[in-house]
Amino acid sequence: MTNMAEDLKAPDLTGGVPLRGGAISPEDRRHTTHRRSTRERKKRTTNVIIYGALVVLVVALMMPFIWMVSSSLKENNQVLTVPIQWIPSEFVWSNYTDIWTRIPMMGYLQNSLYLAVIITCLQVLTGSLAAYGFSKVRFPGRDVLFLCYIGTIAVPWQAYMVPQYIMMQQLGLTNSFNALILLQAFGAFGVFLMRQYYMTIPDELCEAARIDGLSEYGIWARVILPLSKPALASLALLTFVNTWNDYMGPFIYLTSNRLWTVQLGLRSFVGQFDAEYAMIMTGSVISVIPILFIFLLGQRYFIQGIATSGMKG
Amino acid sequence: MTTETITQAPGPARTTPHSRGNRKQARRNTLIGWTFILPNFLGFLAFTLIPVLAAFALSFMEWTSFAAPKWVGLANFQRMFASDSFWVALRNTVVYALGHVPLTMALALVLAMLLNRKLKGIGFFRVAIFFPYITSLVAVAVVWNMLFSPDSGPINQFLHAVGIAEAPGWTSSSDWALPAVIITSVWRDMGYYMVLYLAGLQAIPAELYEAAEVDGASAWQRFWNVTIPSLRPTTFFVVVMLTVSSFKVFDLIVVMTNGGPGRSTTVLSQLIYQEGIGEGKFGYSSAISLVLFLIVLTVTVLQFKIQQRRER
Amino acid sequence: MKRTTLAGIALAVTAGLGLTGCAGAAGPAEPQAAEGKTRLTVSVWNYEGTPEFKALFDGYEAAHPDVDIEPVDILADDYPQKVTTMLAGGDTTDVLTMKNVIDYSRYASNGQLQEINSVVDTVGKDNLAGLDAFNLDGKYFAAPYRQDFWLLYYNKDLLKAAGVDEPKDLTWEKYSELAKKLTSTADGKKVYGTYHHIWRSVVQAIAAAQNDGDQVSGDYGFFQDQYTTALDLQKAGATLDFGTAKSQKTSYRTMFESGQAAMMPMGTWYIAGILQAKKDGKTNVNWGLAPLPQKDANGKVTTFGSPTAFAVNKNAAHSDEAKKFIEWAAGEEGAKAISKIGVVPALKNDAVTAEYFKLDGLPTDELSKKAFTPDETALEMPVSDKSAATDKILNQEHDLIMVGERSVADGIAEMGKRVKDEVLK
Repeated sequence: MTNMAEDLKAPDLTGGVPLRGGAISPEDRRHTTHRRSTRERKKRTTNVIIYGALVVLVVALMMPFIWMVSSSLKENNQVLTVPIQWIPSEFVWSNYTDIWTRIPMMGYLQNSLYLAVIITCLQVLTGSLAAYGFSKVRFPGRDVLFLCYIGTIAVPWQAYMVPQYIMMQQLGLTNSFNALILLQAFGAFGVFLMRQYYMTIPDELCEAARIDGLSEYGIWARVILPLSKPALASLALLTFVNTWNDYMGPFIYLTSNRLWTVQLGLRSFVGQFDAEYAMIMTGSVISVIPILFIFLLGQRYFIQGIATSGMKG
Repeated sequence: MTTETITQAPGPARTTPHSRGNRKQARRNTLIGWTFILPNFLGFLAFTLIPVLAAFALSFMEWTSFAAPKWVGLANFQRMFASDSFWVALRNTVVYALGHVPLTMALALVLAMLLNRKLKGIGFFRVAIFFPYITSLVAVAVVWNMLFSPDSGPINQFLHAVGIAEAPGWTSSSDWALPAVIITSVWRDMGYYMVLYLAGLQAIPAELYEAAEVDGASAWQRFWNVTIPSLRPTTFFVVVMLTVSSFKVFDLIVVMTNGGPGRSTTVLSQLIYQEGIGEGKFGYSSAISLVLFLIVLTVTVLQFKIQQRRER
Repeated sequence: MKRTTLAGIALAVTAGLGLTGCAGAAGPAEPQAAEGKTRLTVSVWNYEGTPEFKALFDGYEAAHPDVDIEPVDILADDYPQKVTTMLAGGDTTDVLTMKNVIDYSRYASNGQLQEINSVVDTVGKDNLAGLDAFNLDGKYFAAPYRQDFWLLYYNKDLLKAAGVDEPKDLTWEKYSELAKKLTSTADGKKVYGTYHHIWRSVVQAIAAAQNDGDQVSGDYGFFQDQYTTALDLQKAGATLDFGTAKSQKTSYRTMFESGQAAMMPMGTWYIAGILQAKKDGKTNVNWGLAPLPQKDANGKVTTFGSPTAFAVNKNAAHSDEAKKFIEWAAGEEGAKAISKIGVVPALKNDAVTAEYFKLDGLPTDELSKKAFTPDETALEMPVSDKSAATDKILNQEHDLIMVGERSVADGIAEMGKRVKDEVLK
């Protein structure tokens, strides 16, 4: 949760955040762990190999993305030619200017962002709270309840979307953001993820804090949360991405065009008989950018763990 | 089904006054526990658990959404077990899971270990590996179908080059369409699970590695004796999520092959969608989902038991 | 730490809530019916990209100032799924657009639509093409306002280059020959003689229409010749291979508009699309229309069509208004309104046809005009409660025959067996 908030703050504050995170810290680490000088050279050759492997991997992984970008610069009827054309014969930059007027893209982006932020916050908050209950407090019925949580993950949404829809309709919540927030913010996924992570935090830390007179809520806030930054960051990231990319949920629940999300907006380029693939890809490229941004900000928390693990109390 | 040991944190046995179980303490704990769980549980109960239970109840009824549901007992199940389509879909789903789960898990772990180091530009590589997961599904389907193209696709050209004369027909062949889908899904999902493993690796205290190194453990030994055991909760999570998501696979198959050619890639969740939302047979589709749920539950409980045994 | 955590949460939530102000900026504000006006809701797909809806709604509002029509815009991709879900939840949208007859039969037999025989009678049973499809034991639950049927599009330049005037009086045999003749490779660019899209109707509905076959019968011998022709063309390389077209999601529009296919059997809905593409300067294809190739050379033209219709929701908030709207939309006024944008109306009379051919950019040669008046238009798929399930099986088996995994005979046998086992039993 803290991480999310800091991510949001970060760019406004200094813009110098990345300096703190990635590039300089290897030096710091080398200072603290001195005794490996003999390994330096060996390590360097390993690094070269690793870089080589990574570069090959990245090219392979990025292929569809490259196609996405290339298609976004074509005319609609040039996108799906056989054989595939990787470099457009003529660059149609106008797709990137037209899309903002063809559909209310800005509004769609705002709607998606709104949903993704709210749902991510709620999921991370309630998920980490519940996970604490499931992992660090013992009470009867806890494990059965937990199995219920895991159990529902196993049911495909297609199976219960109609009963769910009927309920929402009855509550008068269809065609509103609230329906989606209520559906997605309390998912079992976050609880499960956080619980598994909390299991790796030794109970002694909690015990020590109890002896120091902290309440359970205090332990959660002051001991567990700071220690679980990598997990919080990954949960926030995964929830954000899932909400952002969700199509079926918004499709079923949001009818008014002014509530539509980016994914619905993009699908509106699919007509009854044919699809405007170039525009779909233009929109997809644009829609990926916020996720990249979140990832780049969030990923420094993944590497922070080693530093924090030394934290004692 | 669940025992204390499963949910215990890996760590020394607890002998704290906390768990000694006097009744007042127990009641207090129950209260505290519920206050933690409640905010999430309320939403979960109302918008997930109840609809799920409603769907399960529907599997014993016939309901076309307009008239009131009619109790039909086990008729839906009888129809299902007699239906060829159900067995085909079940088989496809199981094959998909058997391919998807181990491959994705292994690759995600390898990637996470590769990327869990401090190198210049490592952030870029992490993003790049996460990329497939955020790329538009339509783009994924188009590009992979192109790669898999039987005549002119790069994959088959490579296979020809290394001397395989009878290269598979991939998505236009009943036998190879499912492997093609599995390869694509592994490629797409591994970045996602890599993130989870990365978080798990970060939770391993550096002291453990240092201690192992002092004891003269080789890199391989450190991997087996430090990394793998410490990652157990993460691995459990990853395996359960992967299993569940494999049994529920839907989107990728719809955009890539839409179940074809023929029925060769039709999976259970697709059948549920077609029968329920597609044809309005909600009772029948609920019955299929109940069976799917029971299968996944059995597999998950087995995994629980295995984890539990390991922990001993 | 605690304070920062809480501050962080607070910040994140306010950041989220702060967006509420702008969230919702995506479209026009929720339309509210003006004082004294009835607000009629109509379910539509892809409102922006399907101009016929706007043409109809604007026309109706102009003629009936007391009504405000509000489109309920649903994405075309999953239109039936969303409508099914909405109806299950007891939605009160007044008018439901029936995208195809298979969905119609499902909603109608589930009792989710109102009977509108009176509307159909007022418009005139004889004038509405495709009305038969909506007849369920003498009851009509929807009225068609547009009727698409299939014909043959061809590229005039490519045919001329090959020394062929026009594809006149084609039988399937002659069509095959012509397609092979038109296939060429120039400058490394392949031109296919024809393009068969991957839909099963390209083979099956044509076969059913021209052989009087019944697609829900479970006996599919009548598919035989049509499959043989289609596979032969594919083998000769005169059409894009089915596996490729399917796996690469080939767009038939691209095939035709970029000159990669010289001919193409397709529905009349594409007329509006091709007119638009030419207007936008996206293609300069010189196109013409011809009747669909026939089984026999007796001069009689048989094709198949698929009507699109409006129906009244059983739970409609304004049933009477909804019926009035349908009466107008399916009638002459509505037909003229959609003719203007190149959509083929279901209502057939001279006034409407004249209106249609006034369209700018429509080929005006005799053959194109002839193509527009087929002698017989069969239904794409018979309407019954078995249609949806049969359709699924026929689709799956169609795939297998076209990719060459099943011989035509085996495929047809398997279709029959599965339909009998899984649907008719």
